[in-house]
Amino acid sequence: MGKSLLIARSNLRRARGQAMAIVVLILLAAMMLNLWLMLALDYKANFDRCHDKLNDGHVTMAVDGDTPELRGFLTGTLERDGRAARFRLDSCLYMVANFAYNGGEVNSQMIFLDKGTALSRDIGRAEIVEDGGGSGIYLPMLYKTNEIDVGKSFELSIGSNPVTYTVCGFFNSAMMGSHNCTMMEIILTGDKYEELEALGYAPRAVLCSVRLLDQSESQTFETDLKTAVSDQFPGRRAVSNSYALVTQSRYISQMICSSIVSAMAFFVLLIALIVIASNILNYIQVNMKDLGALKAIGYTSGQLVGALLVQFLGLSLAAAAAGAGLSYALFPGVNVMMIQQTGIPYVVRFLPVPFALTLVILCGASALAVWLAARRIKKIEPITALRAGLSTHNFKRNHIPLDRTSAPLNFALALKTTLSGVKHNVTVCATMLVLSLVVVFSGLMLENMILDIDPFINLVTGETADSCINIDADIEGDFLAAVEADSRVEKIYLYHTGSVSHVGGVELLVTVCDDFGKINNQSVVFEGRFPKFDNEIALAAKYARERGFAIGDEIEITSNGKQASYLISGFTQVANNLGKDCLLTRAGYEKLGVLASTSYYLNLSDELDVDGFNTEIKERFGTDVYAVINIRAVVDGSAGIYVSLMTIIVIAIFVLSALIIAFVLYLLVRTMLNQKSRDYGIMKALGFTTGQLILQTALSFMPAVVVSAAVGLVVCGFIINPLMAVFLGGLGIVKCTFALPLGFIAAAGAGLVLFAFGTLCLLSLRVRKIAPRALLSGE
Amino acid sequence: MKEILLKTEKLSKAFSNGGAMQHVLKNIDLELYRGDFTVIMGASGAGKSTLLYALSGMDTPTLGVITFGERVISDLSQDGLAVFRREHCGFVFQQIYLIDGMSVMDNVLSAGLLVGGDKKALVRRAKELFAAVGIDEDTQRKFPTQISGGEAQRVGIVRALINSPEILFADEPTGALNSQTGLDVLDTLTRFNERGQSVVMVTHDMRSARRGNRILYLKDGVILGECELGRYVHGDAERHKKLAAFLQDMGW
Repeated sequence: MGKSLLIARSNLRRARGQAMAIVVLILLAAMMLNLWLMLALDYKANFDRCHDKLNDGHVTMAVDGDTPELRGFLTGTLERDGRAARFRLDSCLYMVANFAYNGGEVNSQMIFLDKGTALSRDIGRAEIVEDGGGSGIYLPMLYKTNEIDVGKSFELSIGSNPVTYTVCGFFNSAMMGSHNCTMMEIILTGDKYEELEALGYAPRAVLCSVRLLDQSESQTFETDLKTAVSDQFPGRRAVSNSYALVTQSRYISQMICSSIVSAMAFFVLLIALIVIASNILNYIQVNMKDLGALKAIGYTSGQLVGALLVQFLGLSLAAAAAGAGLSYALFPGVNVMMIQQTGIPYVVRFLPVPFALTLVILCGASALAVWLAARRIKKIEPITALRAGLSTHNFKRNHIPLDRTSAPLNFALALKTTLSGVKHNVTVCATMLVLSLVVVFSGLMLENMILDIDPFINLVTGETADSCINIDADIEGDFLAAVEADSRVEKIYLYHTGSVSHVGGVELLVTVCDDFGKINNQSVVFEGRFPKFDNEIALAAKYARERGFAIGDEIEITSNGKQASYLISGFTQVANNLGKDCLLTRAGYEKLGVLASTSYYLNLSDELDVDGFNTEIKERFGTDVYAVINIRAVVDGSAGIYVSLMTIIVIAIFVLSALIIAFVLYLLVRTMLNQKSRDYGIMKALGFTTGQLILQTALSFMPAVVVSAAVGLVVCGFIINPLMAVFLGGLGIVKCTFALPLGFIAAAGAGLVLFAFGTLCLLSLRVRKIAPRALLSGE
Repeated sequence: MKEILLKTEKLSKAFSNGGAMQHVLKNIDLELYRGDFTVIMGASGAGKSTLLYALSGMDTPTLGVITFGERVISDLSQDGLAVFRREHCGFVFQQIYLIDGMSVMDNVLSAGLLVGGDKKALVRRAKELFAAVGIDEDTQRKFPTQISGGEAQRVGIVRALINSPEILFADEPTGALNSQTGLDVLDTLTRFNERGQSVVMVTHDMRSARRGNRILYLKDGVILGECELGRYVHGDAERHKKLAAFLQDMGW
């Protein structure tokens, strides 16, 4: 060990530049790896801590009509169910409502609670995080912005009725703290609650929060409870969520962000390992004589490999610890961004497990790379090494013989270097292949998210239109006659969302449409077809795969106490309910019950003021219009966050990619110039100019750069959508059909190649320092 | 009347050594003639190699002018000097300096193709030169690590001559060779000189110096003296005595 340390110290002293390069890469990888591990391991666990702190329910449900019958039924049902540990019933007001947020609109099923009740519930308590006092409204902390803040006026449209409150403060709620939770809590001060109750804009309802003995049963319990209620009280509006759904839906952004950070971390780690391996191979080549001498005087291969292990493990450990430490400087910024997405407070603190894992992963990977690359030392015989690695009979292939090639001299000489430098080519190819994936991913995000959000929205949310109007089903005839006669309406179709249950399965979000041929997003069903007849259903692909359903199979669906069998006509994919949804025709749904209210989607003529149109409809049909939604604004509101996030990620990816390629090329060029300084000195003496040698150096890398970039871009073009499907699999996406921006990818690929060439030329400027006179014998 | 091929006026070269200037060449006025086999001798540190660097355009003088024919080369840029070297000079090095990654033939052609011209004619000339120095076709396909030191130096001479240079610079060409292979190399250089090739050779070996027709003796950065020996004739004992006397006079 002592001898290995001695050699390691000597190696480090001689190669300070290389050591610095590896330290920088490991530092970057550790920083991102630790950040990812903290996000993945602790950030989601933070939800559980918040859930426990507020003693929130595992299933929450609100049902229209706060009557003794309903309360009695719920109490009886929950007391009989052995899965329920505790439950609580409270009075609330419940209605669909929307408000302006982040340049768009938030639309959700809102549960209005009296402040006293909300803060004193022993299950599902809300926690005030900012309190300005006074009379008015408290909102989930997610919605605090410059426009929505304490003391400011806040406009809310409940159903189709606008109301204005003063913002008193913000609160934290685990199960109802975001519009992503299916239902969203709003707290009103006592006076405002009574005022709203008196206005009748939001009907009275019962809010039921249930804690389970086993939280993993939350989804099935939710389904069973909702089925029981709908069986007993058909036609009553009810909304519910489960622990399983909320944990996932509140962390979608965090999942996306941490996946990207992890991909980047492993990408940088891969480059670091390649650089370590390349450095070791280069070290063996350059120090062949020294290694031979050490072996000749009695050092064993194990000691020489051990010295390299000590050297690189020392570097890796120090850099990994520093990088993990550095991630704590970055984490507060990421945390602010994440809290804006999750709406759950998170306190940054030291996390020993991610820290230890970061060190273990990086040091383990470095050790493996060192061992794999250094194994060559074992095969070196002292006599061969003392001849600088040249055996007496060292027959090589003469690539591109100059007397037979028709290539120009500089190109031919560059090609000779290319063909004799397999390790360099492998490093370049690996780097370029990864960078190609980055380019294709960035292009995909640019095309389908940043420049035009529609493909992403279509994939994640399913159907979008300009406006959604929810009306009393009794006035459908008059409503349709009036709207269809309006020249500003380009298209109107029934698109109503509710819930049904799979018998023996879980609750499914159901979308009912009179004609699926009318909907804007025809790619919701990606396999098979939309249901056409009343005995057909299109089922979420993720759910179907989990349950082993194929197209043509039968599935039993129940709702409102009725049960019917449907043939699966196709598979859908939207992230709305995390892969638990289905589509039915209206006739198909009516086998289970009638629609008490119906939601219609409308495509309106361009430039038309959607809010103005919706107001006209409300004024015309009065209280028969339950709710209107400006879908365009809702989409813009939620899309804005994703677009900003993705823009930052794409820019970061490009900058990091440019830095990495420059860094890898720097290492390769430096190694090559070290190896070829003698050759270049000879060539300069013979009359090659510095420019010619720079060109030769740069050109020698270009075949690997161009071929791997071209192959990488084509291959990545084919695999990026399947990869994205894997990436978004947790959201219920099983097949992605994002359009590939071929022009952008080709241009970015060409840019990558030109950037590499330019960087290579710049890095090769060191050739200037090689002087031919150094070849002449000294005096 | 001999034709002047290369001429220096007040050629000086100084290096900075820890802040102090070390003058290696001092105001050298020199004329080199076409067809001559000029030998530069001197003790270690006399400035032989520095003078060769400057004459061959591998280095620029601190002061003074170097003229090649009618052209001043001392104020050329590094790239200008590279072009000058490839078009007018050939080099034979003590350490031979063939490029290990190229075959023997490619080592020669890489220098030849640099100047351009008809490739077929160039390959033909390379083969003629190889034949002249006794390198067969098998050896031409080998790599430098697969041939002997003597063969490698003969390949170095072919590479130096591939562009038919006006002047061939040889820096201790036998320094890394054993006695017999050193003689073979000297014979080769002598043979080409007899055919009209101008040669400038740095050496501190008297046996090598005997091949030159003009001997310059350098000491402390100045040319202390010169000796005209006439064309080399094998076994000429008088020639040896004359050179020995000259060197003795110079303090060798």
